[in-house]
Amino acid sequence: MPHGAVADPDEGQVDQLYAETRQLRLQGFLLFLVSDVVLFSSFIFAYLYLRNTLPAWPPPGINRLDVGFAAFNSVVLFGSGVTMHYALESWKHGKFARYANFLIATIVLGAAFLAGQGYEYTNLYMREHVSWSGSGAFGASFFTLTGMHGFHVFVGVCYLTVLLLQSCAGVYTKEKYFGLTAGTLYWHFVDVIWVVLFSIFYLI
Amino acid sequence: MAVQAAHAGGGIADHIHPEPQGFIRRYVFSIDHKIIGIQYMITGFVFFILSGLLAETIRVQLMNHAGGFVSNDTYNEVYTVHGSAMVWLVIIPIVTGGFGNFVMPLQIGARDVAFPWLNMLSFWMFPVAGLLLFSSFLVGAPVAGWTEYPPISLEGGVGTSMWCAAIFLIGVSSTLTGINFIVTIMQMRAPGMTFTRMPLFVWAQLATAPLSMVATTALAAALAALFIERQFGVPFYDPTKGGSPVLWQHMFWFYSHPAVYIMVLPVFGIVSEILPTFSRKPIFGYKMIAFSSMAIALVGFMVWAHHMFTSGLAPYLQLPFMILTYVVAVPTGVKIFSWLATLWGGKIHLTTAMLFALGFLALFTLGGITGIFLAAIPYDLHIHGTYFVVGHFHYVLVGGSLTGIFAGIYYWFPKMSGRMMNETLGKWNFALFFIGFNGTFLPMHWLGILGMPRWVPQYDPQFEFWNRFASVSSFVMTFGILLFFVNVIWSLRNGKKAGANPWGARTLEWQLPSPPHYYNFKHIPNVYGLPYDFSLPLPYKGLDEELTDSPAPVPAGSH
Amino acid sequence: MDFAVLERSVAVVGGVLVAFVSAYALYKDWKTPGLDNQVFKVMLFLLAVGAVLATLAGLGVLGNFPKAA
Repeated sequence: MPHGAVADPDEGQVDQLYAETRQLRLQGFLLFLVSDVVLFSSFIFAYLYLRNTLPAWPPPGINRLDVGFAAFNSVVLFGSGVTMHYALESWKHGKFARYANFLIATIVLGAAFLAGQGYEYTNLYMREHVSWSGSGAFGASFFTLTGMHGFHVFVGVCYLTVLLLQSCAGVYTKEKYFGLTAGTLYWHFVDVIWVVLFSIFYLI
Repeated sequence: MAVQAAHAGGGIADHIHPEPQGFIRRYVFSIDHKIIGIQYMITGFVFFILSGLLAETIRVQLMNHAGGFVSNDTYNEVYTVHGSAMVWLVIIPIVTGGFGNFVMPLQIGARDVAFPWLNMLSFWMFPVAGLLLFSSFLVGAPVAGWTEYPPISLEGGVGTSMWCAAIFLIGVSSTLTGINFIVTIMQMRAPGMTFTRMPLFVWAQLATAPLSMVATTALAAALAALFIERQFGVPFYDPTKGGSPVLWQHMFWFYSHPAVYIMVLPVFGIVSEILPTFSRKPIFGYKMIAFSSMAIALVGFMVWAHHMFTSGLAPYLQLPFMILTYVVAVPTGVKIFSWLATLWGGKIHLTTAMLFALGFLALFTLGGITGIFLAAIPYDLHIHGTYFVVGHFHYVLVGGSLTGIFAGIYYWFPKMSGRMMNETLGKWNFALFFIGFNGTFLPMHWLGILGMPRWVPQYDPQFEFWNRFASVSSFVMTFGILLFFVNVIWSLRNGKKAGANPWGARTLEWQLPSPPHYYNFKHIPNVYGLPYDFSLPLPYKGLDEELTDSPAPVPAGSH
Repeated sequence: MDFAVLERSVAVVGGVLVAFVSAYALYKDWKTPGLDNQVFKVMLFLLAVGAVLATLAGLGVLGNFPKAA
């Protein structure tokens, strides 16, 4: 078997294989995120379309969404994006403790965002009497889109917890840590989707 | 960092898994792209037979203007499941999952697709989705036509929800296959195979994969919304609760127009392989055929509302959609004329595969031209929802895609099985199919112009003659297709041994034994040029040992 | 203190902080190569945009609609 110009066959084979496999997985994962973006875009299109067909938005009898709390909750989620970024940076520089702290902070902030979302849902349902199926296109689009996003955050929190346990168990090394890159990509994706959802639901 | 030299040695190309032993891992839950491709085809043809029977039910019902073969409700179920199954369970899986899986990795000189396990997962979603769709007959199948427009699709039993789930599942499968193919084609080509040296079938798959990925996900959103509206009463489409039925039409056609290109672009690729091989001439306009596939894929995303000219779209929106639809005809025309120029002056061998490819050229062109009719707003207003539309899309999907699928099977069957198909039976198959097809669907055009609406179980007596003509012709076509299955089964046992390259074709898969080994290539070859220059020596190096008895490559540590 | 004022203040302070840190991270990473890092940069940019939007919303510049009657 030719091994190219690599001196140590075994060593060379593993690293070349890792590099090529990593590239495949990276592209595949990014394409998966692209298709997820399309999924969100379709629902966003549906929301904007329904909103556009109605004479008034929000429909009569429904109050505007509370911008203040949403801004607070958004900052919680955006903050988790920053901590995730620094978690990966720390890992790249071999600072494990710093990495673990940042990752735990990310998980906590993500969970806090979910709690905030739960608080907002409860508020809407109990005080404003807005529900998924009983409030026309408003409830349908708002709860479907934010619920879908919340589900992605939930999956992300679980995913990051698994990554934390895996990295404690020594699955990743300083050179080979594609799982962490993928986790960071996913978490950033979840953040960035929220930028769009926050803008279209609360700001316009 | 990114590794530029994809096959410099020690990488994926030299990482060979040991061949699995045992029937289950080898033929059922296989991760080998060749087996998965054949699995897709077999499953697809099983569903083809089932939905073909539904089609014949339709034709028998329409033999008499008063109907009477099945009840009106059953008739609605029959045409709905027929359309859905033919699109999602037959043509799309066979042309992407089937041909794409079997042929594409061989043609680019790879050992497998990028994610073999994902490939297996994609495949196994497909039969599950099919069973879900067909079992909806047990509880009351969907009745709103394959387009499932609300508000009709919001009514009715659990069958429509099963339809949603089935199509969602096949959509996920299609999306994952698209991702898999894009990464495979981008990253796993043999050294020296630049983009402009790829076979045209690979180009066609590269144009199709983003469509399967992006458009199908948009459909998934529409289906999810329909499902939760049906199951939980969440108003997206119901106008009485603040939804909009036109929203479904937008989301559905944003998928389903690109879906036409998902169904036909791979077939363009198949035809682009067959025509030069059997004309013994380099393909005319290689780059133009390749790039026009990409152009069709791109413009295909911007034309969906031409299905909705009668849905109350604002006139200033209708006009751009009409013009963009005409724009699609330009790259399609580039392809058609390139194929004709490939034939021109060639030494044409009229094998069955070539006959089907030529049949494709004629029938698809007719289907494309009626598409131009339909894209014209004034004409569409007259013809919308009539049998003209039915005739049009059957010319595209049966005359185009299905004829191309037959061409591809006659062409690659020797590579898949190691045996030739029977040419005499094949020519009968082609003749009966071609005559029966035209007899069935050509009269539908004038029935439509005269005003016969689609999706009706009874109709005005004045249309009875041509409906009977179509029905009788459809029996001829069905008999022709029956000969195809007879031919496949007969040839699997009794066909002549094919050898490596029975057609004298030049793409990489024909330089390997038939059927190819599990690991495809003993050594990954180097590529030096286009595969279509019939007067030149083969543009590959490193293939000398493929047809000899030299030992198989050693599997690198199994894991 | 009023809860509404508190959450808006946190949004403003946190938003400014997040916007600055992600802009700084973007600046530090500006020249990193590789497909993943290119995507990270786009994401960081959008994150900064989102933080600015949240700040402005907290300040009442954006999304400050009159209460429905």
